[in-house]
Amino acid sequence: MISCTEFIPAYSELFGYLHDRGGREEVVRFWEHLSDAFLGNLHDLAANRGLAGCFEYWSRTLSEEAADFRMTLDEDAGLFRIEMRRCPSMARLLESETIAPYPDYCRHCDVLYRRVLEPLGYEYDIDLSRCHQARCVLTVKRPDGPKETENPENKVQRVRTDKPKPRGAT
Amino acid sequence: MAEPRVLDRQAKDQLYLHRDFHGALCYAIRYLDERFGAQAVSEYLTRVGETVFASLSDRIQRQGLEPLAEHIQHVMEQENGRFQISRENDKLVVVVHECPAISHLRRTGQLYTERFCETTVWVNQAICRRAGYSSSCTYLPGQGRCVQKFWREKAP
Repeated sequence: MISCTEFIPAYSELFGYLHDRGGREEVVRFWEHLSDAFLGNLHDLAANRGLAGCFEYWSRTLSEEAADFRMTLDEDAGLFRIEMRRCPSMARLLESETIAPYPDYCRHCDVLYRRVLEPLGYEYDIDLSRCHQARCVLTVKRPDGPKETENPENKVQRVRTDKPKPRGAT
Repeated sequence: MAEPRVLDRQAKDQLYLHRDFHGALCYAIRYLDERFGAQAVSEYLTRVGETVFASLSDRIQRQGLEPLAEHIQHVMEQENGRFQISRENDKLVVVVHECPAISHLRRTGQLYTERFCETTVWVNQAICRRAGYSSSCTYLPGQGRCVQKFWREKAP
């Protein structure tokens, strides 16, 4: 059994294996599959409870992952935000003496969550510009939330991939 | 107007134990099986054994099976597995009565693929081969039980 505490390097190696087989396209294809198949809990929470569902989802997962973070839910502003001060996954990979992290490791957080949240009508952004310091900022906005300039906490550099396909698309 | 809700946590205040990772690995195994075939699963898991567990292999090579026994005991205790570790002559024998990964997948209603236990088979083999040892793992799919054995390769 691979312990859940040893999963992250195995996950990174999976991305490397897929890349070796078919390039980045093959890695993204897996991320899309995992998003569709595995993130039903996030989908249901966000669909049923809105941004509070996002807060509930990440409260549990980030606590179990022993992340160092600040999470903010502002219902009036229509804004959910995670400031990741130390991502436990990337930090472990950076500290590893036996493996090198998959170069675009952090991008999976962009693809997986965007694919769940955007079809529900949310605006999703993640700033990965400091991911090699195990830091990032994730933002989810309700469409009726304030414009970016109205919220000083939301001044993040945008990093986006191609628009995701609809859920269930191949 | 409602006050924003804030959750601020530091890593040192929390226990690192996110069991849902077993579910992600389960999906990965099934994905590789369905997209590339069984050989891809064994190739990937061998790669994991050789890279992620390289330092464990090195310790086994230097110190024998004791580091492996300690590693398995640590993992099983950490995840609340039911198991026994014993020695049979020169073999290390691990009997898993209740695999904590499969228990978690079942308990939370997540995907379980019968090929999930191949993770143990191939990772163990890769760790041992690199250290000059051999291993076996016998299991019945879905039972959450297995018997793992480890022994030193005889010199040719």
